[in-house]
Amino acid sequence: MADDNSTAARRRGADQLKRWLDGYRTLPGAPDELMGLGGQPAEHWMGFLREIAGAASDDRFGMAARHIRDSGASYRIYGEEAERSWPLDPVPLILSQGEWDEISAGVIQRAELMEAVLRDLYGEGRLVGEGVLPAAVVTGSPDFLRAMRGVAPPAGRYLQVYAADLGRGPDGRWWVLEDKAQAPSGAGYALENRLVVSRAYPNLYTSLNVHRLAPFFDALRRGLAATAERDEPRICLLSPGPFSQTYFEQAHLARYLGFLLVEGDDLVARDGKVWVRTIAGLKRADVILRRVDSDFLDPLELNAASRLGVPGMLEAIRSGGVTVLNMPGAGVVESRALMGFSASLCRRLLGEELKLPNIATWWCGQPREQALVEAELEHMAVAPAFPGHAGPLAGPRLFADLAPGQKAELRARLADRPGDFVGQEVAQLSTMPVLRNGRLEPTPFVLRVFCAATPEGLRVMPGGFCRTSDGADVRAVFMGEGARTNDVWIVDDKPVERMTLIQTGEDVKVRRILGHLPSRAADNLFWLGRYLERTEATARMVRALCSSVMDSESALHGRGQTFEALRAILVDWGALKGDGGLAADAVRNSLQDASAWGSVINLVRSAKRTASGMRERLSADFWGLLVDLEADLAGGAGSIHNEAEALEQVENALRHLAGLSGLAQENMNRVAGWRFLDMGRRIERGANTCQFVRTLAHDEASIDDLDLLLDLNDSQITYRARYIIGLALNPVRDLVMLDPFNTRSVAFQVEALKEHIAVLPTLQEDGIAEAPSRILLPLAAELETEDASALFADNVQRYEETLFSLANAIADRFFLQGANAVPTVKLVGLA
Amino acid sequence: MNYRLRHRTTYSYDDVVGFARCVLRLTPRSSPTQTVLESEVTVTPAPSAELDRTGPFGARILTVTVDTPHKALVIEANSRIDVHVPPPGDPAQSPPWEQVRSAALAASDLGPDGPAAYLFPTQRTPIVPGITEYARASFPPGRPILAAIDELNRRINREFRYDPGATEVSTPVAQAFAARHGVCQDFAQIMICGLRGLGLPAAYVSGYLRTIPPPGRPRLEGADATHAWVSVWCGEALGWVGVDPTNAILAGDDHLVLAVGRDYADVAPIDGVILASGAQTLKVEVDVIPSLP
Repeated sequence: MADDNSTAARRRGADQLKRWLDGYRTLPGAPDELMGLGGQPAEHWMGFLREIAGAASDDRFGMAARHIRDSGASYRIYGEEAERSWPLDPVPLILSQGEWDEISAGVIQRAELMEAVLRDLYGEGRLVGEGVLPAAVVTGSPDFLRAMRGVAPPAGRYLQVYAADLGRGPDGRWWVLEDKAQAPSGAGYALENRLVVSRAYPNLYTSLNVHRLAPFFDALRRGLAATAERDEPRICLLSPGPFSQTYFEQAHLARYLGFLLVEGDDLVARDGKVWVRTIAGLKRADVILRRVDSDFLDPLELNAASRLGVPGMLEAIRSGGVTVLNMPGAGVVESRALMGFSASLCRRLLGEELKLPNIATWWCGQPREQALVEAELEHMAVAPAFPGHAGPLAGPRLFADLAPGQKAELRARLADRPGDFVGQEVAQLSTMPVLRNGRLEPTPFVLRVFCAATPEGLRVMPGGFCRTSDGADVRAVFMGEGARTNDVWIVDDKPVERMTLIQTGEDVKVRRILGHLPSRAADNLFWLGRYLERTEATARMVRALCSSVMDSESALHGRGQTFEALRAILVDWGALKGDGGLAADAVRNSLQDASAWGSVINLVRSAKRTASGMRERLSADFWGLLVDLEADLAGGAGSIHNEAEALEQVENALRHLAGLSGLAQENMNRVAGWRFLDMGRRIERGANTCQFVRTLAHDEASIDDLDLLLDLNDSQITYRARYIIGLALNPVRDLVMLDPFNTRSVAFQVEALKEHIAVLPTLQEDGIAEAPSRILLPLAAELETEDASALFADNVQRYEETLFSLANAIADRFFLQGANAVPTVKLVGLA
Repeated sequence: MNYRLRHRTTYSYDDVVGFARCVLRLTPRSSPTQTVLESEVTVTPAPSAELDRTGPFGARILTVTVDTPHKALVIEANSRIDVHVPPPGDPAQSPPWEQVRSAALAASDLGPDGPAAYLFPTQRTPIVPGITEYARASFPPGRPILAAIDELNRRINREFRYDPGATEVSTPVAQAFAARHGVCQDFAQIMICGLRGLGLPAAYVSGYLRTIPPPGRPRLEGADATHAWVSVWCGEALGWVGVDPTNAILAGDDHLVLAVGRDYADVAPIDGVILASGAQTLKVEVDVIPSLP
């Protein structure tokens, strides 16, 4: 039987493979990766396809696709607030070891070449002085930073990471299409792609001898650490912030490499060094891997309008107090104008021929080249010679594809300002198979290959970031709408070494705390805690409203004193607008009214926005729950027709919130970050409870009021267990305000806060209490000795206010707006 | 012509400022058209750190850190300068403008005196097709460059209204161009955009203009102002020529150059940040006093 089954499966697999290959029609004139130059499927592809086809009854591609969707890798298109999930194709680009060796050697040579060019341009300037390069090829680039001329890079190198976009030409050779030297992106996506795809095909990696990426990232990290003066340097990844297109990638990389993810506001330049603002004061930033473009790095010396940089950063670099990589100004070698010179530069600087040619490029700033391009325009691609726009062009375009008006405009601009343009050969680049509707189809692609400086020299990541376009145009691929990505497999003919990340040497110091928490992260975590708690409290009120309408046993019945009190709080909290309307409307609106700032959906969105600014600190599960919660609430809008449906939504929201607090309690390290999240939650809970008590447990409170209070405080069961008698004012007050054993009581929150504050760092070791302690300790003492019968409304209100002033004191002491980090202001006016 | 020059900037703050860091571009630079005899910058309160270096455009740049709490920051530059601009050449004898464009693209000087630095658009001086076309009217094929520049200079002066209230430092050049008004900065930027649009190297010059008091009246203390004009590269032989579209003249012995750059951002006399939250006000006083050598 078993033999019959496996024979049948084999036959099915063979049939599937045949269907895929028979249905695969390569594009006319374009070489193809799967079919090779000879038109026969290449062996390194067949190994993969056979495996997949053999398992096709399980629909391996379909499983992979689902797994990819669920993993939530995402990116943001500029100008769009929402993130989109990253469309990752289940078919990897597969390259043989032999081919890869050539690519690696070529990319390493090119990285060396770019390094040598940078050393010359920012150093002696002989290439220009001796007429090898016209000065305008350099000055045309907005990334040529004059301020960096004559400044030796603190770590000796301009480029820590270099990347090249490659495509395979019709002759089978790989060509460089673009150089990336500013702050190459994509390595983090490549890593993410690998994590996702490797889970989709768990065994294939080993059986096909696919090279692993981890050793490369380990070397990259060691390379960065080696550039620092100190043995255990603090390495920061400087991000433009959550609105950057590749923020997800930056967060992912920082998390994977163990770097501190910082934004300009987190850093301050003083005394020739750069410091991180942390909750323990200023801490030195030794190495900064930047993802902020050079021009924005220092508003004092560069773009004065920049909010992304650090005033004084260039000065710190000049004085050698910080290593910033890639070195500011490195982007000057990215310009297409330079591509027209790379072959001669390589001969001159390295004494070698280019191992990987770049796509033939003519810079029109030279009379002969200009004439050639003008004569051949209809058969050429034209592109801005330097980053940014040039006339009607934002990027490379086939001249023949332009509208007549654009052609005329371009010709005129070319005549006026020839130096702004390059002409490029139109190359038929190769295609690779991707999965479309269950079939394999050839699609053009661009492969980005990364090279890093490591203690062992330049090293290429064995893999890459591959992008395909949805269209069939073989001649140009742009990132943006419709673009997809693929994992890249380098397959060896012998088993690859299993990299073990375990180091056995004596040089690894055991450590339990990962550096100091940056103030901004502390701020975000604190607010995340507050938003989540506020969401939960609001949801509990909505649930009470629901049951008041639905449940005939309910004390509220959608009217009466208690109901009004509840509605008043919801209005006060901004969950309801106006007087809140009828009970049924109030339920729906406080849950989903996007125009009410305090509605549950808006609170969840605030929490998500706060969380999105520190993705590297939250687990994927935490983020996933938050995303689900928002989606459920948003998806439920309009679908609530009655209170039962509303109740279902609220219960669902409360379950998600319980999941989130469970994850925070059980899965976050008990280090400072967790403490800030928890402090936010506890301050919010304490203050909310005070307000509930003032409104529902005043001296004239009814039984219904107290009943609701216990609901909101989630203390019904505790009360019933503790008191046989029915509801009475003082026992209820004691339970929700003063009982140190009730985890929902105000006293319990204050105790927890006391514990947090006690272990957080102080700025001075003089033993004098800082402001948060000075506010908190008397409050704790008072709550400890307070008597429920003497608990007047005035007192409760004072406790509530004290908790808010505690929140302010924490913000002042630990966050960026505090007295220790007054914002920098530009001097204004035309001096 | 010899001058004594005083440029005093006072920032006053509502609240005490505990920390300031400023980049000062207040030291004039010697060039073929002027010799700086002496120059000194003083900052009050006294800086805790001072760093002197040669800036990206060749001028001396001073970076100061002030960490004495203060409510006013006073930065004063005093210089003695000898200005000696040679008489302009015969426009008819200057090279055709297209030849200058080609020469600039082929230039092999990466430094601040070469033309290549000033060929390309910047944030404040972008390529604006309308301005390029405006300039083109003065640049028919083959026209000698000095003749073309001279005409453009006069046209801008004639067709644009000088209006101190109309624009601010941050007014985009396209807006001032469309409204046909502005101050010296706008006039200079419009001319730069027009020239660069045609592929010609043009630099932004900040400096001072000697003002002659009305007959019989004394010169008023601190009444002079900073000024801005344009410097155009006219080929290897002629080099840089100063052009002042605000006054429809070539820059001469009344023009004292403070700094040259691609646009205002490169030459701003003071760039600074302070740690503060309150409001600030700014006062600038300039004196340009002709003196005996």
